Amino acid sequence: MTTLATPPHGPEVTPPEAPAGETPASDARRRPARVGRWVLFLVMVLIAIVMLYPFWVMIVTSLKSEAQFLSGGGFSWLSWKNLTATIPVGQEVLSSTIVCTASILIILAVGLPAGFAFAKLRFRASTVVFLIIVSAMMVPLQAILMPEFVNVTRLGLTGGYLGAIVVYAALGTPFSVFLFATYFRGVPDELIEAGIVDGLGYFGALWRLVVPIAIPAIATVTVLQFIQIWDDLLVGLLFIQNTSERPITVGLAVLAAGRTTSIPELMAGSLVSALPAMVVYLVFQRYLVKGLTMGIDR
Amino acid sequence: MAGFLFALPAIALVVGFIGVPIGQAVYYSFTEWNGLTSTWIGASAWTQAFHNSNLWTALQNNALLLLAVPFALGLPLLIAMLLHQRVVGWKIFRSIYFLPTAISWVVLGLVAERFFAYHGTLNSLIHAVGLSHVSTNMLGYESTALTALGITFVFTMIGTNTMLFLTGLATLDPSLEEAARIDGAGRWRIFRSITLPHLSRFIQLAFVMTVIALFSALFSLIFVMTGGGPGYATTTMEFLIYQTGFDQGAFGTAALYGIILFVLTAIVGVVQLRLIGSEE
Repeated sequence: MTTLATPPHGPEVTPPEAPAGETPASDARRRPARVGRWVLFLVMVLIAIVMLYPFWVMIVTSLKSEAQFLSGGGFSWLSWKNLTATIPVGQEVLSSTIVCTASILIILAVGLPAGFAFAKLRFRASTVVFLIIVSAMMVPLQAILMPEFVNVTRLGLTGGYLGAIVVYAALGTPFSVFLFATYFRGVPDELIEAGIVDGLGYFGALWRLVVPIAIPAIATVTVLQFIQIWDDLLVGLLFIQNTSERPITVGLAVLAAGRTTSIPELMAGSLVSALPAMVVYLVFQRYLVKGLTMGIDR
Repeated sequence: MAGFLFALPAIALVVGFIGVPIGQAVYYSFTEWNGLTSTWIGASAWTQAFHNSNLWTALQNNALLLLAVPFALGLPLLIAMLLHQRVVGWKIFRSIYFLPTAISWVVLGLVAERFFAYHGTLNSLIHAVGLSHVSTNMLGYESTALTALGITFVFTMIGTNTMLFLTGLATLDPSLEEAARIDGAGRWRIFRSITLPHLSRFIQLAFVMTVIALFSALFSLIFVMTGGGPGYATTTMEFLIYQTGFDQGAFGTAALYGIILFVLTAIVGVVQLRLIGSEE
């Protein structure tokens, strides 16, 4: 790997050809480079402003009363004080948490052994089955929305959380199987064989050997699915009919579409809904990147 | 046998909740269906559907939104190249650029609505540069609403695609670029001959993810920004399925539209597979 031997290229390592006591000529050559870096920095600040714009809008707007928002100026905590009266954020955040946790637990419980099996315990037609499951990743829910909705309703699951949990679990499983299988292919066979020889059995080997090894893959699946499910609208909107069990994203979207709720309060609610996903994201950023590029050889 | 047993729960879940509904959607696309009872009407269901102008409007909207894809790939590529220069504080910039990725498209849609609104940021910006007599209301008119939706879509894709490209750039061997520079190659030449070919797999992945998102993840944005309107100006296939099924109760027609969406995404998937296949 030549990459490892090369020093990271940054501003301090790039100009090795400029020794101490430079001639005016080399100084002139370097000046545009320095100006270039300043321009670059400014461009990056500009992009940062654009990317922070949503947060700025949410914060500034939520710190106005409805009247102040309409007239343009002023500052008030009123929207935050009224927030829970307009949007049951506490209940909705709880609902989001319940749905996310349950769905992710199912996705992990189902995806991890399957990924392990497809990577290490090949069975008859396992390659074909694996390809079928992975290609299910490409099926958008909208394509099968009507039969899915009718089926889950017939199972009596669309009242509370259960329907949404099952649908999220099914939609998240193909990706997690793919990711776990890719991950386990990189684990030496001997490690698992040793465990089985030691009398752990397949299940014992899975639980005692494989799960501890798979922690990074588990983290990646968890983070990606958490953000996906927390931020989703369609499933929560249709598969949780009981309005008191609505996740926060659904609650916000329904109020927004109704066009009668005060916009400062909506923005305050938006901030509350965005916060958990942002924290998870900032803390586990590297797992997210890993998950997105999984399957591309590095 | 143990392998099969380990995979069984995943197989059951995927077959039961993704595989079976595909088959059902095909069956019900030939019926009139209200969710409870269905009557078989055969192929005429399809001929009727193709005579419905709403379907063509939605397909056209999807096709027009594809014009946003080059921007949803090009801007992140540019941003990733800038980040890759590693100026002071680039790690902080990276975190900032990725931050909107964590936020729901419901929330981003709400913010975008504020941006494009008559008393919103866009008009403030236009007035600030001296064009005080110009006022836009892009979401309010059939001619401009789809463009506003497309711009919002590009913004929402920036984080993910930048992340992909930056990861790709990080795997690029810097000594290759160095060697080319010593050989006298200009920046553009290095980008064309070294960086771009190296990134091709990442660009393909980003392309597929972007197109799939365009076909199946705009629901949240449309739901909060326009509700599909004005008229049908921002109704895409996925939103048409929702409207037809849940606003009009025409489950059979909605299932039929679902099959069309399924075929469209399958085409993208097959193109992707062929691209990968041709490389190996």
